[in-house]
Amino acid sequence: MTVSSKTKCTMGLLAALALAGVGCWIFQLVRGLGVTGMSNSNSWGLYITMFMLFVGLSAGGLIVASSASVFHIERYKRVAVPAVITSIVCICVAGMFILIDLGGIQRIWRIVTGPNFVSPLLWDVCVITIYLVINILDLVWMCGKKADEHKVEVLSRIALPVAILVHSVTAWIFGLQIAKAWYSAIMAPIFVASACDSGLALLLVALIALNAAGVFKVEKSLIKSLSGLLAVFIAVDAFFVGCEVLTMAYPGASESVALSHMVSGATAPFFWFEIVCGLLVPFLILVFSKNREKTGLVVVASALVILGVAAKRVWLLFTSFITPNVYGAPGIPAGTATAIGNPSPDVWMTLGTYAPTAPEVMIVVGVISLGVLAFMVLSNKLLRGVDGAAAR
Amino acid sequence: MTRLAIAINMHRCIGCQTCSNACKMENNVPMGMLWTRTIAENCDVTDGAVGEFPNLTRTYLPMACQHCENPACQKVCPTGATYKDDMGRVEIDYDKCIGCRMCMAACPYNVRVFNWNDPNRDPDFNYGDKDVPVRSKGVMEKCTLCKERTDRGEEPMCVVCCPTKARIYGDLDDPNSEISQIKRQRSVRILLEERGTKPQVFYFE
Repeated sequence: MTVSSKTKCTMGLLAALALAGVGCWIFQLVRGLGVTGMSNSNSWGLYITMFMLFVGLSAGGLIVASSASVFHIERYKRVAVPAVITSIVCICVAGMFILIDLGGIQRIWRIVTGPNFVSPLLWDVCVITIYLVINILDLVWMCGKKADEHKVEVLSRIALPVAILVHSVTAWIFGLQIAKAWYSAIMAPIFVASACDSGLALLLVALIALNAAGVFKVEKSLIKSLSGLLAVFIAVDAFFVGCEVLTMAYPGASESVALSHMVSGATAPFFWFEIVCGLLVPFLILVFSKNREKTGLVVVASALVILGVAAKRVWLLFTSFITPNVYGAPGIPAGTATAIGNPSPDVWMTLGTYAPTAPEVMIVVGVISLGVLAFMVLSNKLLRGVDGAAAR
Repeated sequence: MTRLAIAINMHRCIGCQTCSNACKMENNVPMGMLWTRTIAENCDVTDGAVGEFPNLTRTYLPMACQHCENPACQKVCPTGATYKDDMGRVEIDYDKCIGCRMCMAACPYNVRVFNWNDPNRDPDFNYGDKDVPVRSKGVMEKCTLCKERTDRGEEPMCVVCCPTKARIYGDLDDPNSEISQIKRQRSVRILLEERGTKPQVFYFE
């Protein structure tokens, strides 16, 4: 295979960023999670936000790929291979974020020796593992030496429910917590809906990029058709978000505190960005047939959808950490390194606050770079020169 | 069965934080964290009051693990590091904790503290009860109801040291214990009762 010097340059840059991320992760392993912006009052941060985002991005790709096979949508079968590649890469990225977030990764084998089957985190570990295996089998049977369409069809019937389950379980990590505003039955449907729209948006961006790079040929009509599907997914997502917000707001009871942070407080910029730029604008772009024919507009809309879902992860996660259920001064002992170094003002937190630190951001950039790099390598190896139809 | 618990007399609590210090000293709790703390409820400043002068109220609320009968933290722990023992206490097996902080998100009372860094102590050595295990970086900890003391039949350190005798320790399953009598006879407040975690710790006037 031949790779242009421009591609080589990009790959080199991505590899350097990934290495810098690994460096920061080693720093975090040595010093502890105290190098991040997390504290006792805001105990999950950017890693968990990214974990949620990438599980969604992954599930979306596989849902499209396996639906094509299960429901015999012939024209979508063409994009199955790139869809499974994005799916594999994103689920690996999501898994890495969970591992990076662990404070005692050296004791992780305890999950195997003494699992607590009631814990949603254990369900997540199991489902993600199954999901990854399905993805890899899918890829092997699609374009390996032993390509076998029948096996792919059978596997797709398992892959589709597992892809929906993988995102539901991720939602239940949050949605089953009585302690937080996350406690809501709509959490799983919302997560699946945002997985579908962000995942499909990522697939569209990937397909257009692959087409532009000459790695994989995609017809305009297919892009147009997928964009129409994306508009539907956006509408479903918006509907669920609307249901949740109305249910939070109407009684004016305990959830109104969280709601006020969401619509006019610390997480409001993210909430409104998602509503306006992540749902409304891309929907208005894609709902018109003419716009779906313009590749540029499709890319803009898809990118907005992905950013909007990322913003949703932020408001969803952090809103619940702001006001503790039992509120009062001095508050919660922060437990962070800065609090220990400067006890008098910093040790207490009445409200939960959070800002990512430089090492934390660098680790996230590194992991994502590694993901993009893996996608470039895999798509160059598996798609280049092979026409989509031939691959199936 | 035994259900060990603490009852806190809100009328007697003066918000002196002696319980916090007694607990810290007994349990080798590192700098920057506490297993029990006393907040002025609904105030945004320390020792503040609620209302408008001259109609002010102040409620001191000592907060530590509530040793729930239906502990949200224990359910979500993927490795079973958090467990409910046969004395009714919610405990942590530090060797099993992988530092995922699920329990921290699940606890409605924000009473868990995490070792974000290597524990830092001032003075620079382990203090407190010799039987209390030392916790390392990356594990969760919280009030154990002074497991080591209560195992020996002694009262928890916060109960012993409270200068106003606001804390009463005992077994809720023993109908004749002082704590059981208080729970039956006095008007009792259960923290966040509507969440259904069924705390064993309770407050009374």
